Amino acid sequence: MPLYDFGVIMDPEIPPEEETATLERLEGIITDGGGEVAEKDTWGRRQLAYPIDKKNYGVYHFWKVNVGGEVLEKLNFEMRTNDAVMRSLILNMDRELRRKRKMDAKYEARAAKKAAKAAAKAESAADEG
Amino acid sequence: MRPNRKRFRRRVKVCRFTVEKINYIDYKDVDLLREYTPTNGKILPRRVTGTRPAFQHKLTRAIKRARFMALLPYTGA
Repeated sequence: MPLYDFGVIMDPEIPPEEETATLERLEGIITDGGGEVAEKDTWGRRQLAYPIDKKNYGVYHFWKVNVGGEVLEKLNFEMRTNDAVMRSLILNMDRELRRKRKMDAKYEARAAKKAAKAAAKAESAADEG
Repeated sequence: MRPNRKRFRRRVKVCRFTVEKINYIDYKDVDLLREYTPTNGKILPRRVTGTRPAFQHKLTRAIKRARFMALLPYTGA
């Protein structure tokens, strides 16, 4: 199952119990679909860079989620229809990090090559000396 | 050196992402993205910042995502 990066902005004006209920419902959709929430990052109330629905603040939640892709449709539907959710964004981290892994490997290979070269140089210097 | 030639030191621009080996630009990293968006909210061109093309693409995408999530403004105040 791919790892998804999941971000929501909740309405700051709804009562807190409704907010937790909505978050639990979202988590319920994920766990019902056989997935799990791997990491939760709550930023809390934060000023928006521009007003959304005439509101200047939003409550930010960022999760790392392990689910199958077919659950996302349900999740997106729930977030679209739920008034407590002002905005949401889901990214496929496997796809996002593909390039990063490639580049990490490249950097690593380069570092290894450099080390090998340095070692060879040291060896030849030792031979001469 | 010719006398009428203007002499000035050109500031050496370096790509921050290459130097610091930041391979993935997260849209949640607002402090980093702010450095590439002046107060008017526009994305600084790589001509100005010296960012490598590959990273400029990623940066642009991250900034646009951050804008969607209201972490960065579309336009300056």
